[in-house]
Parts: sequence; C-alpha cells; structure tokens
Amino acid sequence: MEHSVRDDAGAIVAELAGDVDLESSPSARTILLECVGKGKSVYVDMAGVIYIDSSGVASLVESFQSARAGGTGFTLISVSEEVMRVIQLARLDKIFTIHDSLDTARQAGD
Amino acid sequence: MHGDTQIETSGGERLAESLELLDDMSRDFARSLDIELTLQSALTRITDYLGAEGGALFLLEADETILHCQCCVGAANITGLTLRSDHGIIGRSVQNNAGDIVRDVTDDPSFDGSVDTKTGFTTRSILCAPLSVKEERIGAIELINKQGGDGLFDDSDLTLLQVLSSSAALAILNARMASELVEQEKTKRELELAAKIQRSLLPAEPPGPYPISGLNIPARTVSGDFYDFFELDDGRISFCLGDVSGKGINAAMLMAKTASLYHCLGKTETRPGKLLARLNEEICDTATRGMFVTLVGGIYDPKSMTARIANAGHEPPLKRTPEGLYESFEAEAPPLGIAVAIIPEDGYPEFDIRLEGGALYLFSDGVTEGKLAKGDMLGADGVRKILDENADMSLGKRLQSVVAGLDRGGDLHDDITILGIDSRAEELGAHHGDSGGTPAAPIVPRLEYAIPARAARLRDVRHAVRRFLEDVGYDGTQVPDIVLIIDEACQNIIRHGYGGDSDQWIEIAVALEETGLVILLRDFAYPVNEAEIEPRDLDDVRPGGLGVHFMREIMDEISYLPQEGDYGNILRMVKRATEN
Repeated sequence: MEHSVRDDAGAIVAELAGDVDLESSPSARTILLECVGKGKSVYVDMAGVIYIDSSGVASLVESFQSARAGGTGFTLISVSEEVMRVIQLARLDKIFTIHDSLDTARQAGD
Repeated sequence: MHGDTQIETSGGERLAESLELLDDMSRDFARSLDIELTLQSALTRITDYLGAEGGALFLLEADETILHCQCCVGAANITGLTLRSDHGIIGRSVQNNAGDIVRDVTDDPSFDGSVDTKTGFTTRSILCAPLSVKEERIGAIELINKQGGDGLFDDSDLTLLQVLSSSAALAILNARMASELVEQEKTKRELELAAKIQRSLLPAEPPGPYPISGLNIPARTVSGDFYDFFELDDGRISFCLGDVSGKGINAAMLMAKTASLYHCLGKTETRPGKLLARLNEEICDTATRGMFVTLVGGIYDPKSMTARIANAGHEPPLKRTPEGLYESFEAEAPPLGIAVAIIPEDGYPEFDIRLEGGALYLFSDGVTEGKLAKGDMLGADGVRKILDENADMSLGKRLQSVVAGLDRGGDLHDDITILGIDSRAEELGAHHGDSGGTPAAPIVPRLEYAIPARAARLRDVRHAVRRFLEDVGYDGTQVPDIVLIIDEACQNIIRHGYGGDSDQWIEIAVALEETGLVILLRDFAYPVNEAEIEPRDLDDVRPGGLGVHFMREIMDEISYLPQEGDYGNILRMVKRATEN
C-alpha cells in the first residue's frame, strides 16, 4: 500500500493506493487516525485502492468513528467499484459519506 | 527401578534407603492437598539424602520461556528467581529433557555465575535432573555442591535424582490436573445457572393452537441465539429471533441483554424499524465493541394475517404460501451493534408480509448450516424440503421436523433456533416425514495452493485464486467476492489458528464442481473453538467478525469438516452455481 497526505484548503487529503489488506491495514489505520487527530476535515482519496478487506474496512470505521467523536468531517472520495462492493457487504455504504471527487464533496458541503 | 545397575553398585543398603525415600515421597504426594508445601519438603529430603549443600526446584511458566524457582534449600534463598528456560545448566537440562552432572562449573560454558554474584554463594558442582512426564516438560531440580567425600556427585546420585524427580513431576502434573478439574466443574455449574436464566427468557409455548411457535437448542450449555413473542394490548403479537456473533459466555450475555431489551421496549414501541434502531443504540452504547447481533423483529396481526418486519443483518425470513411457493426477505440494514448512528431517523426499513393462509419462518444460521446425520449441511433447500413434506402438520411439529433432521449426537456446530408464524393457526394431523438430505459429490480440487501463514503472503493467494477463477470462466463481479472470501478465511487462520504470522502452513483447494465452487482451507492449528473466534474488534483493527460476516454474506455453505488426529481444521465453503 502506498499513501500520501497533503493539506488542501484547510482540510487534509489522505491518498491511499494499492492493497489495503491484513499486512497494510495497521499502517492505514495509523495514517488515518493521525489525520483525524489534527482536528480538520479529512478526505480519504481511494482512487488508487485496488483491494480492501475486512481489516481495511475496520480501519476506515475506526477513523470515521474517531472523526465523529471529534466533530470533524470524514469523507471517502473516488471509491472504486470493487472497494464499494466490500463497503456494501459491510453494510457501511449508507454510513460513510462517499463522493465521486474532492470537488463534488466540497460542493455538497461534506 | 531396582533393576538399575547404578543403584545396585552403590550397595544394597543404599538401594533400600533410596526406595524407602521414594516410597515416602510418593505417599506424601498422594496424601498432600498442598502441592507447594509437599514440594518444599520433598526437595529438603532429596537435598539431605544426596548430601548436597543446596537445592532448588524450578518450574516452567506457561509459555515455557521462563523458569522460576518454586522452592529452595540451603545457603542462598533464591525462591522466586526467574531464568530464561534455555539458560544455564538447568535450562540445558530442561531443553534436552535429560539429567546432567557438572563436576566443575568453571569448565562448563553454560554455567551462569550471575546468581552466585548476587547471592554470595559459591557453586562448584551441580547435579541436575528434569521434571517431566513423557514429553511434557514441567521444570527441573538442581542440587549444588556435594558435601563430604571427594565433593563430587556421581552417576548413582544422578540416577537417584532422576527417579525422585520423575515422582515429583508426576505429582505436580496430577495436582495441576486436579485443580483444573475443580475449576472446570465450577465453571460448568456456573454455566448451568446461566443457561437456566437464559431459558427463562424464552417464551412459554401457549396452550392450544397459537399462530406463533419457536424452538431453541443451544450448541453448548448457553446459547447465543434467542427468540421471543408476546401479545400486545390490541391483539397483535410482537416477535423476534436473533443471533449474537460468536459463541460462549460473552455471546450468551449479550443474548440475554438483547432479548431483555426487546421484551421490555417491544411492549411500548410497536414499530419494528424504530424498535431495532433503539436496540442498536443501546447495544452500540454499552456492548463490547466488535460484538454484534443479527435480528429480525416484527409485529404480526392475526386479523389481517400480515407480519410487518425489520431485518438487522439476519438470515432472510422465509415465507411459504399455501401453494408451496417460497419468498425470502433479505436484510437491508447491518446487524445491531456494528456502528453508532448509522440508521436513518425513522429506523430500520420495514416490510409488510401478507401470509394469506401461508406461514413465515425465521431461523438462525445454525439451522441452515446445521449438519445432517450423514454430515451434509441442511441448507435453505433442505429447510424448504422438510417444510414441504410436513406442510400438513401443526406448526410446532413442523418446526420440530426441521430440527429433528439435524445431527445433535456430537458437538453441535451452532445454536439452532427457529420460529414460525402460521396464519391458519389450527392444529393439524401429525405424521413425520423423511428429513434426510442427499450426499454431496466427491471433491475434485482444481487449484491447490499452500502458503506459510503470513499476512505478507496473502497477496499471492489472491493472485492465484483470481487467475484460477478467470481460467475457469468466472466473470468479473464474482471473482473479487471469492478472492475476498478466501483472503478473509486465510486471515482467520493466521490470526486465530496460529495466533499471528507463523511458519506453519495453510493449504487452499478450490474446485469447480457441477453444483458450484467448493473451497477447502486446511490448517494445522489446534481445532477451532468457535467461542474463541472473537468478532470484529475495532480497537485492534484487524479482521475477525467482519470477515466472518463477509463469508456468510457471500458463501452459501460454510462448515468445518471432521479432521483426523488432534490438530488441524478443514474449512469447507461452497458458492452454489445456481445463485451466481
């Protein structure tokens, strides 16, 4: 799994790419929790994520819950069909805020 | 023992004394209720008898990496001292499971003088014998510095120490087993009490014909499943059936909580979707994170023969029309306890199911995944077949017929719970139908793949499975599902079977049979104790219950095959071709 984190107009954009699996999800979790811990809105750009498993989904859930507890935004953007399938299997598709792109997320006010 | 030449060469008198000491010690051990005290007195006698300046008895701690000094005799008190179990002369004795004489410790590179430095004692020679019963290592006894004579231990001393150690080892093992038995007995009694309370949470069968009936058979003493039904003031009946993730006492406690909440809140909240939303809030608030409950709740109106239900991630309820047609109602919302504030304001989605002379069945996966006497799973088709064959029976008898076919001889794989609502409600004649299934075809593996149980190797598994599926003509949407399921199942083996990354193996076989895709995963860990398979733990952020949830969602059958020998598991999963 590769990742990058950048500031973007007062928010944080975390890009994940590759496989978010049992091997890499502990670092995905650390990265996302650190982002959330900065107290700004976090956009997780999943465009490059090819594969995600239950451990990867769990790290998203934990970060989402942490953001919710801190009252900050946590939005998934550019979620591929395959990743979406796994999120749906976990029945989390209606729980996460998900947008096609950073722009549409911002337009929607998320 | 008395045939041992080394004892005999020490003279008949010594042999007699030795045997007397052994006899005394064995009797002490047999009589003793306090193993620690008896070990101390045994060590004192052994040290005296062999003329040593000091002695110490070390026991291995549970993980076998540490030896701690249980008791000692002589100049320096080292009781409580800990050593690495591969360290020093005593560690060597434990590792090799063999006795040892070291006449001059300065000549032995294994000797660790640091204890002497701490205690001010000077060790010159050591006699050491392991405490073990067959291959089970328990610890070792070490004697230090022979007094009198040439100051050296000899072979007959070693032989005698080994004999005495064996006797002590057996006594320690017996004492441990006895205390384990006492503990187990205690736990068993407590579980029986818990089970009694659980049974009291299930509704009593109303006398005479009644539209609703249920059955619950726990796999163990306590159950993670439950059902309930009770009448509201307006004549409608509130009902539910739920299944808590995992098994064992933690699942049983969450079951008790959920059932109680449903029974209490269900009397005032008669909209099933809202009721489930309230249960979800309560469970998310206070339940152990990572545990969840699948549940169908509803209200049945006997006048309109309509059931209004909400389904939180549970097995789809099955409706059977009087003509024998079936309809099932998939869950549209996650199980209770998965996440906070995920349910829309107006609650879980509700459906109206018109029974119109037919019946509605709710069951836990213990029914569909339950094994028939021949070892096959009953499956949803099997349930339908039994319901068809017994359509003329009373509701209660129909439910019993479904359960009757399931093998309850050995260890039940899962709790079995079924609830039926019959809009006709009258008692019907009774005759039992055949509830057997058909045996599955033999498995012909097409892809065989094995990896050491390491997270970093899962990518290889995914790659191999993906290629295989594409080769046998599976199309785009099914491939990622199957790849995910095999990955999740391997993760469970790594995490639960082997306790993390391991050099032990996972064998994967995937076969495309006429009936569908059959997946076998074999590991060499201890047999699966499903109570210990923790559901998803969000603090840990590694897979668990969520992965199992995926497996149940995607696969049609999941079962463990009986495995020969004391270790290893074979997990069998089937994705039926007809449901692609």
